[in-house]
Formats: sequence, structure tokens, C-alpha cells
Amino acid sequence: MKFILSRLGFYLLAFVTAVTINFFLPRMMPGDPIKSFLGRLAMNGGQITPETISALEALYGYSTSTPLWQQFFQYLGSVLAGDWGMSTRFFQPVFEVLGRGMLWTLLLVGTYLIVSYTLTTLLGIYVAWKRGTWTDSVITVGSVVVSSIPSVVMALVMYFIFASNLGWFPTSYAYHPSLDPAFSGEFIGSVAYHLVLPLLCMVALGMGNVMGMRSNMINQLGEDFIVMGWAKGVRDRKVMLHYGARNAILPMITSFAMSVGAIFGGSLIIEIIFNYPGLGQVMFQAMLARDYPLIQGYLLIMTMMVLGANFIADCLLFVLDPRLRTQLD
Amino acid sequence: MSKLVEVKNLCVDYITFNGRVRAVSDVSFHINQGEILGLAGESGCGKSTIAYSLMRLHRPPALISEGSIEFEGRDVLAMDDDQLREFRWKETSMVFQSAMNCLNPVKTIEYQFWDIFDAHGLVSSRDESIEKAKELLRIVDIPTERLFDYPHQFSGGMRQRVVIAMALALKPKLLIMDEPTTALDVVVQREILQKVYQLKEQFGFSILFITHDLSLMVELCDRIGIMYSGKLVELAPAKQILSQPLHPYAHGLGDSFPTLHGELQEMKGIPGTPLDLQNVPPGCRFAPRCFKATAACREQEPQLLQANEQRWVACLEPLKIASQAQQPEPLTQSHSEPSETTCAEAL
Amino acid sequence: MEGLMKTLLRNIKQFMLDNPKAFIGIVIVLSVCLLCLMAPLLTEYAASARVGRPHQAPGGDHLLGTTRMGRDVWAQVLYGGRISLMVGFVAGTFVILMAMIVGIASGYFGGLVDNVLSLLTNLVMVIPSLPLMLVLAAFLDQVSPLVIAIIIGATSWPWGARVLRSQTLAIRNRDFVHAAEVMGESKKRMLFAEIMPNMMSILASSFIGTVIYAIMTQATLEFIGLGDPLSVTWGGMLYNADQTSAMRIGAWWEIVAPSVALASVAIGLALINFSIDEISNPKLKAQRIMAKFRREQNKAAKQQAAAPLTNAEQAS
Repeated sequence: MKFILSRLGFYLLAFVTAVTINFFLPRMMPGDPIKSFLGRLAMNGGQITPETISALEALYGYSTSTPLWQQFFQYLGSVLAGDWGMSTRFFQPVFEVLGRGMLWTLLLVGTYLIVSYTLTTLLGIYVAWKRGTWTDSVITVGSVVVSSIPSVVMALVMYFIFASNLGWFPTSYAYHPSLDPAFSGEFIGSVAYHLVLPLLCMVALGMGNVMGMRSNMINQLGEDFIVMGWAKGVRDRKVMLHYGARNAILPMITSFAMSVGAIFGGSLIIEIIFNYPGLGQVMFQAMLARDYPLIQGYLLIMTMMVLGANFIADCLLFVLDPRLRTQLD
Repeated sequence: MSKLVEVKNLCVDYITFNGRVRAVSDVSFHINQGEILGLAGESGCGKSTIAYSLMRLHRPPALISEGSIEFEGRDVLAMDDDQLREFRWKETSMVFQSAMNCLNPVKTIEYQFWDIFDAHGLVSSRDESIEKAKELLRIVDIPTERLFDYPHQFSGGMRQRVVIAMALALKPKLLIMDEPTTALDVVVQREILQKVYQLKEQFGFSILFITHDLSLMVELCDRIGIMYSGKLVELAPAKQILSQPLHPYAHGLGDSFPTLHGELQEMKGIPGTPLDLQNVPPGCRFAPRCFKATAACREQEPQLLQANEQRWVACLEPLKIASQAQQPEPLTQSHSEPSETTCAEAL
Repeated sequence: MEGLMKTLLRNIKQFMLDNPKAFIGIVIVLSVCLLCLMAPLLTEYAASARVGRPHQAPGGDHLLGTTRMGRDVWAQVLYGGRISLMVGFVAGTFVILMAMIVGIASGYFGGLVDNVLSLLTNLVMVIPSLPLMLVLAAFLDQVSPLVIAIIIGATSWPWGARVLRSQTLAIRNRDFVHAAEVMGESKKRMLFAEIMPNMMSILASSFIGTVIYAIMTQATLEFIGLGDPLSVTWGGMLYNADQTSAMRIGAWWEIVAPSVALASVAIGLALINFSIDEISNPKLKAQRIMAKFRREQNKAAKQQAAAPLTNAEQAS
């Protein structure tokens, strides 16, 4: 319990840090968003009245009259209350806009995590088992090469070949626009069909985990308890799975927790290129329109998702590693 | 007494980028039924490699290049995978150097016992395995309710006893103990060795005991083999190897250890460092450090030859057995009585 | 002199045979670096000048064709590579410096220092770096490559710091460091003389890892349109190509050229990193030795098959 509590405390601290960054960054920057908005407004021949300025101040949470620390606590309070400001691009609360995109990002990243981690873990075990053979070399070198291709390049190439040129996969949307969301076979099929190519692309980029699992596994195979397993006359397969792999997945969970931020970051470019309506796409729109509240909200929601994934990883470790679980007795 | 294990001309090579390095070179010995044989030597002399080879547990890049290992007349090196799997633990089991690392950290002790019984098809149900495991824990004086604990929840000494209980699970004929107590403090060390000795008397298995602690070994073992740089240089009854060593290295080893009882004497040690196995000079491997080395020693490699009924030595200039006339050793080895008293005394 | 060259060549050949992956990686990365450095010699065109008709296909005057703005793609790839590689290099250096300071300090001093630094490391690790960069870039409006490099460096050091910390802890508890301490070596000397050599492989692989990550992230940021439009980079080329719908009108070379450049640098670096891991990890090394041994045995077996007499001897 102490372990879980201390982790929760850490997550709270991390979230507050993200909020702090979010609050101070724009105030430290040379360009003031209000001024830049006013500049654009003026350029388009808009009228600037004191009312406009105070309305903008309310929108962005800026103020020249209240002291900074007071602003900070106001901001923190409203963030925790779920009031993340208004999107200047969509004219809707930031929270709602992000919520819509988050659904699809969670679907994409969630499926990716399941598919990729299952595939790479199994492959890693397999090549560690077959280490030193031809299969091993082909799979390991192949996964190193494939996973090191920059995501922009991979996504662009896949998009142009399979979606744009060959037309095997859709070029945008998360489901066919003629369909209404419903719990029907047709709708789910369409969602799955739209998911395939971005998912494939992410899985290919995540193949590097094969290497991680392979070296974890080979490290484990040098441990004394593996030799003891063999000495006991336990069958190879069982030594491999219950002694080797069972221990080798523990560092995989830690490395998952460490890389989850990069995974969400990677989904951004995939969503943009495949026109998939997730958070990345929302963010792209926000960037083009310089929609600062939405951009800031994106950082917060990403932090939240990373923290959530870390918490899941902690719980998994807690369940899978008796050393963590029984330390507390 | 019949021979349980017979090792003949065993050679184990390590493959390196610079070619082969012979870690164990032309070693022959046997272990009798019910006997405790000790193997001593500096670290890196190949004693653990021999232990692992006896169960064919040596891992790449090590490989057995020459020689034979016979267990009750069966050729261990010729066994196929299934035979080998059956052979391991049932005929020969092993207590590893560090009990700390040789238990699977994510499984309960119960699971690791069950593994043994299950692998050899000896139990029909998990309950039966639990019963047997509890019985074994009782033998090594560990409360049976700890069966469902994880390895990290035990202290070092307890963990080593758990490992011994596991090693005895299938009533093996040979128990290999590879520096079983190095990581433990002296009191626990004694307790455990005494327990092992008791169990040996009770079940009648043989033990191959490997350590660099010669004083410990003399108390426990019937016969002792001394290894130097991958070679067996002397093999003799335990009592004689310290009192009347034939090989200068054995002499030096004896001088570098304090005896537990008896007068304080000057410890001499052996000058020089062990041989670099990548680069073995001709002649006797110990010659560069030997006080008796002659020109012949540096040219001709000595073979392990029988010196008398129970003693083998590989030396061109063996030390004289001065006291043999006055103190004739009994022909049959008296292992049980004296060892037990010394153990008890030490405690 | 000739003998020296010969031994050098022989050593290179041996290295190539022993580490083919590293060799291929080094060749790729070195050639890309060389090409970019020698850009003025390899092309007569400037990267951002209109030098031809729009969308000329590769061949003739323009080796890799031209963009919609009539710029030479080959020149853009060469000059753009300079900036992309520079970003990777700066970020990589920044990261190993940060990782070294934070990781070694917290592993070595322990106690409060360790607690504070570990907390900092963990905090930076869970704050997602790409979104943070986007926020920064959004407020800065457009970011120059150098700023991108620094931001990437500032947000991606925790991984290396963590590995270095645990390594320092492990090495610190090893006998030889204790021995050095007892012998009265000063702490500073000890850090550099005893601990650093053991860390070279970790530093190298975390440097290379960051270079890959930085080059990729820079390309991503620029593709989204956050780059400095005045500097030519590989990511910027992709952005321009995408913006001008190069693919739809069949100007594939505009996308392919920077893609190949980006991918080959990343793959080359990844192969080097893979080999570093293979060479420095003793458990992976054992397997390499066995692979070599098996190769030699196979060769010996073939030779023996040619001489049946010795073969029969071996069988007995």
C-alpha cells in the first residue's frame, strides 16, 4: 500500500509540475498571446476595444491587475476543476475538444500497446531461444533497422504507398463518414479498417522492443537460477518461459513506463499524416491556428495519459514482482 | 567400496576470440559410494568447471573437449537430451555457490519444489508435491508454513538450507556442493555443513565438496584433490594432505591456512600469482612458483601418478613423506567419527 | 610506412569480419557526414535559390530533380543534412553531459543528493517531451534548429541519467572502488579514473540514441510546420513537399530524397548502437564467441570431409 501511495503522491507532484510549466511558459515568452491575437485582429481590420482586451484576458487567464502568484493558484484551481479554458479555434471548452480526440488516440495507442508488446515480447523470447542462428540475426537486425526509421518517413511512405497510391486503406477519418456511431458490426468493422494502417505503422516503429526483450532474456539466461532450473531437469521450454521470460518481462514493464511519453508523442505524427482524428490531429489544428489554450491543454492531457500509463505499469509490476509486493510485510 | 563416479582425462575448453583456453586439463579422479571428496584450489583453477561438467551444466563458451565421465558405469557425455534431463537432479544434484541467486525470484519455494517433482514425473498432484516438500523442509529444520514464501523473504542461511532441501528432493546418489557456504558467516557455515554431514550419514549419498577453504574441507572430507591451473596436482586422504603433502603446492596451501585448533604458527603463503591459462609454458605449471623446481620441471610436464595405495601426485620432485613410518595411516578411511567430533568441537 | 598501412588495413578487415553490423553502420554514417561536409564540392547550386524550372525530374542538370520552387533537391539534401546532423550532435552532447552530471552525482553521493536528483529525473521523464516542445515552439512562434536541439537535449536526458545512476551504484559497490577509497584516492580522481572507463559504452550508446531521437524529433517538428522556414533541413524539405502536394502530382523525388537521407542516418546509427551493446554486454559476447567458434568448426568439418581418414579418427 505504501508503494502505491508514494507513487500516487509522485504522480500528483508530476501533474502539478506540468501545470506549473504550462502556467509560467507563456508568461516567460517574448510573444504575448494576447498581443499576437490583437495584432492579427488589427491586421484583419478588427476593432480593438478595452472590452476585447478584458475578454481576451478572461479567455487566456492573463491579467495585468492581479499578482502572479494569485493567478497561478487560480489557474491551478481551475485546471483541477476541469476548467481548461476555451479553444479559440473551435470555440468550445478545451476539455471537450480534447475529450473527443482522446477517444481515438486511446483506441490507437491502446491497440498499439497490446499488439506491439505481445508481438515483440514473444518475438524477443523466440530469438533469445534461437540466439546465434540465422533466424535470430534476420529478426534482430530487421527489427533494429525497421524501428530506427524516423516516424515521419515511415508514416509518409506507408501512407503514399498503401493508402494514396494502392488505395488499400482509407486516407483519412477514423470511420466511414456516412456511418453513424453505433454498436453495429458495420461500424466496428469500419473503425477497425481505418485503424489498420496507422496501427501497422506504429507497430513497425515499435519493433525495437524485440531487441530489448532479447537482451533482457539473454541476461536472465546467464543467471544462476536458470542453470539451477536446467540442473533440476526441468524441461527447456519451462525453464525458458517460467524462469527466463517470467523474469525478463519485469524490466520490459519499466521500460514501457519510461517510453510511454514517446509513444504518445509518436502517435501525434501518425495521426497527422493519416488524418486520424485523435489528439494529434486536434493538436495540429491548434498549432496552425495558434490556439494557445488548446495547445496548453494538450500538454496537460498528455501528461495525464503518461501518468496513467505509468500507474498501470506500477500496478502490473506490483502484481508480477513478489519482491515489491511482499516488501511491505 | 565401489566407484560411483569415474572421471577420466577430462578436458574442458573455453572458447575465446583468441582461440581455446584449457580451463580443465587432463583431470582424472573417482568418487566412491558414500564418500566425501573435496576439490580445493585457488579461484580460477577449474574446480567449479569440473563440478558443472559432471552434470553437463557447463555453458557456452565452455565445452568438454576430451575425456569421459562415467556415473555408475553410464557414460554421462553420451547421454541424449532426455536421458540427461532424467539424470540431472535424480542421480546428481547440486548446491550452488550463491543461494541468493539460484532460486527463481518470482516463484514461491513451493512452486520450485513442485517443478522438481513434476519434471521427473514423481507426483500425481500438487498436494502430493506440497506434502513431500514440507517433509523436506522439516529435514532441514525450516518451518513448513514458510513453503509458500518467496526466496527473498528468507535469510541467507535459510535460503541455503532450502536449496539443500531441494537438492535432496529426489534422493540423489551424488550431491555436488560448489562453494556452498562462501556467502555465509562462519557460524551459519558450520551449522549448514554439519546438517549436510548428518543427512549424508542418514541417506548415504556421496558428496563432491568444492571450496577454497582448506581447513573447512579437511574436517568434512574423506579425500581431497588439490587443483592448480586446471590440473589435479595431488589427491590424498584428507588428514594426510595437510600433515604430509607430497606436492609443493599442497604444502604451500596448507601453510596458508590457519588451523582452527592447535598452536598458532607462521603462515607462509605461496609467492607469485596463478598461471595465465591463455599462455601456458612447457613443463610443470607450478614450476615458476615452486621452491623445489628443477630444470627438468620447466621442461617436462608431470603426470598424475599413484604414489602409494591411496595417494596420487603429479610432481617430478615430490616432498618426502617423513613421518609415514611413525604414523601409518589406516587402510580403511575412518571418516565418520573424527569429522563429526571436529565439527562438534568447532562449534 | 607501407607496413603500417598493411596492418591498418588488416585491422579494418578483421573488424569488418567480427562486427559486420557496426561496420555497415559506420560506413553509412560516415559517408552521409562526408557528403554533407563536402556539399560545396558536390553541387554547384545553393540550397535555397531558384535554380531551375519547378518539379524537374531527377537526371540531367539536377541529380535529384527540383522542388516546386525550382530548388535543387540534391543541394538541399546535402546542405540540409548539415543542419540535421548538427541538431543531432548538439542534442546528443547536451544529453550525455546532463546524464553524466546528474546520473553519476546521484549514484555516487547517494543520500539527499540522490533523492533530489532522482525525483528531478523522474519528473522530467514523465513530462512528455514532444508535447512540451510543441508548447514551447507554439509560444516562440517558430524555432531555429539550435533551439530545437537544446529543447530536445533538455527533455531527453533522464533515460541516460537513470542508467548511469544504477551503473555508478553498481560500480561504486565493487571492490576496486572501495579499495581505491581505502587507499586514499580523492573522490574526484576516483570518479574519473575508476568509474568513467566502465561507463564509456553506456555514454556512447546514450549519445547515439539521442542523436537518432533528436534528428527524428526535429524532422517531426519541422514537418508539422514549426521549423524555421529560412533554414533548409530534411524535415523542412518534407514539410515543403507535403505542403505543395508533391506526391499527388508525381514529384516523388521530393519526398524520397530527404526520407532516404533521414532513414539511412538513423539506421546507420542504430546499427552502431546495436553493435556497441553486443560488444560491451558480456552475456551477448559469449554468444558471439560461440557463433565464431561454430563458423570455424564448420570450416574445419568441411576440410575434414575432404580428408576422410582424419574424419574417421575424429568419429572414434
